[in-house]
Amino acid sequence: MNLDGLDPVIIAPALAAGVLVTATHVPLGQQVLKRGIIFIDLAIAQIAALGVLLAYSLGFEDSDVAVQATAFGSALLGALMLYQCERRWSHHLEAIIGSVFVLAATAGILLLANNPHGGEHLKDLLVGQILWVNLNQLLPIVVLYVGVLAAWYGLRAEHRPALFYMLFSLTVTASVQLVGIYLVFATLIIPALAVRRLAMRCQSLMAGYLLSLAGFASGLVISALFDLPSGAVIVWMLAVTGILVSSLIASKHQHAG
Amino acid sequence: MNRLLFCFSLLMSTILPAKADLRIFACEPEWGALATELAGDKASVFIATTAFQDVHHIQARPSLIAQVRRADLVICTGADLEAGWLPVLLRRSNNRRVLPGSSGYFLAADYVQMLSVPDTIDRAAGDVHPDGNPHIQLDPRNYFPVTRALLQRMIELDGDNADYYQRQSSDFLKRWQSSLELWEQRAATLKNMPIVVYHDAWVYLNYWLGLNQLAELEPKPGVPPTSSHLSATIKRMQLEPARAIIRAPFKPARAADWLHERTDIPVLVLPYTVGGNPQAEDLFGLFDSTLSLLLGVSS
Repeated sequence: MNLDGLDPVIIAPALAAGVLVTATHVPLGQQVLKRGIIFIDLAIAQIAALGVLLAYSLGFEDSDVAVQATAFGSALLGALMLYQCERRWSHHLEAIIGSVFVLAATAGILLLANNPHGGEHLKDLLVGQILWVNLNQLLPIVVLYVGVLAAWYGLRAEHRPALFYMLFSLTVTASVQLVGIYLVFATLIIPALAVRRLAMRCQSLMAGYLLSLAGFASGLVISALFDLPSGAVIVWMLAVTGILVSSLIASKHQHAG
Repeated sequence: MNRLLFCFSLLMSTILPAKADLRIFACEPEWGALATELAGDKASVFIATTAFQDVHHIQARPSLIAQVRRADLVICTGADLEAGWLPVLLRRSNNRRVLPGSSGYFLAADYVQMLSVPDTIDRAAGDVHPDGNPHIQLDPRNYFPVTRALLQRMIELDGDNADYYQRQSSDFLKRWQSSLELWEQRAATLKNMPIVVYHDAWVYLNYWLGLNQLAELEPKPGVPPTSSHLSATIKRMQLEPARAIIRAPFKPARAADWLHERTDIPVLVLPYTVGGNPQAEDLFGLFDSTLSLLLGVSS
């Protein structure tokens, strides 16, 4: 046990990142689960990475803005492509998404064969680590996520698939850089999975939000106390709280029924 | 809220252990070991990585930030070795004493003659380090300038113990000089010994001992070798067999084992840094063990 890591200077920015990621991922994740496209976040993140690699091999690497623009642009393009796939081949969508993921990942390897330098940058870009998050780094994310949430709740995006795909790709591209792919996947899927039995939308949203926040908070504290890599511990605490919440809901259902 | 934070940090400061004179944060085990040689019990030394980690990429743990926050001196290799995490860690820790440019920020690579500095930056050549190859810890002669510079820095930061640091460092340099002479006598037979390496992390060892590096298994770090590269390596080994395939403890065994199966050349896992094997428990052990292992396959 070690109390140094509990210093708010260490924990607070990470927790703020967790709150932001929770705010967007919980509603998006419920839609992902409903559509049965679990691995779409992996595919989108990989497409964004591929776009960045392309930008590197074309020599754009020096400007942060250019790199981010390529990442978001490629993610958007990829999302629209997947949306077209959903419209045409909705029965096999998950298989297509999986194939797109491996194609994008291996295309990256092929591109890197002649420009390995990009690989280093890419690792830093895609494997965000929640503990390295800086408060001023969060400002553009706040702006983006407020926009996403406004569009999501204001324009009722869950009924507009094209809009959903676009918002999803923007959110995931930002959050992967912030907290890394494991946490992105976990915050999308685990809360949605745990509260799937709750019939009312506002109920399931609220439960999902609380569950995710509890996962982040407990994960950060445990990682601080035992000095373990924070992202990995949070994933496990999301799973633990997820199982607790879902068994709680299940027992309520039994009593009711 | 502010008051709550204040109370919390007050609580933390009472729980924390008593302050040592100098708090040192070392990025790699070799610099932690050197700092311990110089500072003895006048400093507390925290080492961020182990010999079994690839220091290019490390996971963010809370203690890394906590330790940098209260460090008086950060000792790292530099030359871009820690480029993936040290800048973010320093920014995140927000400790003015150890920011780049301040006297609490010490990069060993600033004080040694760098090898493999590219004339032009050709990114097609792989993981290019524009400042040269950063794996400087494997030439024992590099510890002379680094030790002298580090001593100056420690005196600057903690003048009260200047005499102590002086004595420690001249004692260390004396022992290092006599060990170096012994190592160089023992290693005379290693000159021109042909070797294959996993990745180009051994240039300083090669340079010191005069080893003859015939090939690299992974010429472009992070990119799997192509089949033509592997078959060329095997052909080369049939014409001109190497004595050993050398890899670091943190590098995967597969490529080296693959070549071993096809050529019968033994695989040698050298300690690479302090803690890389049980014998390499300090800087002296690091070179003792490296030489013993190399001499074991030389005849």
